[in-house]
Amino acid sequence: MKHSPTSIIGNTLKWILLISLLALALLPLLWLLVSSLRTNLELQTDPFGWPQKFQWVNYANALAMASLPRLLLNSVFVAVVTVVLNSLVTSMGSFILAREHFKGRDVIYTILTAGVLVPVISFMVPYFSMITRSGLYNTLLALILVYTAVNIPVSIFLVTAFMKSIPKELEEAAIMDGCGFFKRFSMIILPLSRSGIVTAATFCFIYSWNEFVMAMLLTSSVESRTIQLGIKFFSSQFITDYSSMYAAVIITIIPSILGYVFLHDKIIGGLTTGGVKG
Amino acid sequence: MQAVGIRNRWIWSARILFLLPVALLFFFFFIYPFFFTVFTSFTSWRGIGAMKFNGIKNYTKLITDPTFQKALRNNIVWALSQGLIQVPLACLVAMILVRKPFGWRGLRTIYYLPNVISTVALAMVWVAIYNVDGPLNAILSGLFGMEKHNWLGNPDTALFAVIFQTVIYIGYFMIVLLASAMNIPRSLYEAAEIDGASTLVQEINITLPMLRGTLITTMTLAMAYGMRHFEATFLMTGGGPAYATTTMGIDLYLKMDALRYSEASTSGVFLIIMGTLVITLLRKLFGSSDPMSEMAQ
Repeated sequence: MKHSPTSIIGNTLKWILLISLLALALLPLLWLLVSSLRTNLELQTDPFGWPQKFQWVNYANALAMASLPRLLLNSVFVAVVTVVLNSLVTSMGSFILAREHFKGRDVIYTILTAGVLVPVISFMVPYFSMITRSGLYNTLLALILVYTAVNIPVSIFLVTAFMKSIPKELEEAAIMDGCGFFKRFSMIILPLSRSGIVTAATFCFIYSWNEFVMAMLLTSSVESRTIQLGIKFFSSQFITDYSSMYAAVIITIIPSILGYVFLHDKIIGGLTTGGVKG
Repeated sequence: MQAVGIRNRWIWSARILFLLPVALLFFFFFIYPFFFTVFTSFTSWRGIGAMKFNGIKNYTKLITDPTFQKALRNNIVWALSQGLIQVPLACLVAMILVRKPFGWRGLRTIYYLPNVISTVALAMVWVAIYNVDGPLNAILSGLFGMEKHNWLGNPDTALFAVIFQTVIYIGYFMIVLLASAMNIPRSLYEAAEIDGASTLVQEINITLPMLRGTLITTMTLAMAYGMRHFEATFLMTGGGPAYATTTMGIDLYLKMDALRYSEASTSGVFLIIMGTLVITLLRKLFGSSDPMSEMAQ
């Protein structure tokens, strides 16, 4: 039964599918990595192939050419401040939505989380107009505000779900001990929700680090542009030097890959928070 | 009595204080922009000066505009390909992985990896892959002796090429479906096994019906994403060649760039309408009982 012809064919097809998808997920990145270590001549003569000698100089060129350090610093600053702000405001909000009982609570929750269904790119005109009128155009603060806000629905969803799962008894014991509103939040719920907040923060960081459209819309100079715009628009500087451009791209995706290596369990857990009950 | 009143008032102040930052940000970046977009779509505003009402002129202009029609058609193709190809493929992979084949955890982790890499970086790689002298043509001519083809430069293949690369993002829906499949009680399969049902029959009669709710949710999300697609296409082709790959989002952006703000808003309203339409249509069709919150992942 186990080794019938149909099951062998089925098994083969299964592994062909799994391995093709694995190749599709990994090969573009591997190709990018290898290409970033080859010379331009090698790239032109053959799109594939191993570098004769690892061209680490491409990385030095990338860092020297495209104002890359400044752009990287901007991206780090925007992503870190966004994550801190978003975690702070959504954990406060989620505390009320998960642990307090009052009329209208579920309506507020539904409205906030339904934000994910809204196509934010359709708001390009109002965002641009709002940011320009408030004098924030071409500042990092503009990006921080937009990213913090855009991530609210997802973060509220994840953190509220997590806070709701904390047993009531823990909080009741604290109330008996005389813990007030703020202490209940800061000493009981917040520390116990750390894991949920980290999950939300991870998604928030990935979004802020990778975001392109709003950054293109709301900034115009190197001083306030992020690395994603850097690799898109400063690629003209690399017009004859593709291998250095690929090195620049590799530098920008290192934080994402590192983060994913350490936090993939949190990310996968976060994705399944909603799916599990479905 | 009075003490209770004071305490109550205090508790309410604390609650409002805690909700205020989220509420304010949500108001300024979701609610206000929505009304702003709808309002300006009925004006002839160009970014400066007073807003002059001009009725549905922007709308009649938009729906008779061949470029926008192309964008709308492309978005529908996007939505269908995401909902009817991407999600079923993700479901198939989830159904394989739920049986825990060798290395399933590692596969799950790697399938999701492209989702954390920036679209800018991956779009750049795909542009290189699709290049006339790039790896794809090298493989195809090496294996099958095919002629070199300009995948993104040719209007006949450009849309297919930009859509095809989304297959690398399959991990997102796959993980959601896999988690749901893992929750199906093992006893159902054991009973079927005793009845002599083959694996295929078990998948069709147990797994698929049990995944129905999650499948509808992921399909709805995938199609809604298809309707708002912007980034990868903008980066790979800018909507070209000859608007062959343009989408409503790109249409909106190009109008904004040309300072035609009110017309950009009209495209934005259409974008919102099409997204909402997809969501309500699928709910009507399949009568999804899943609460809104399930979509919030």
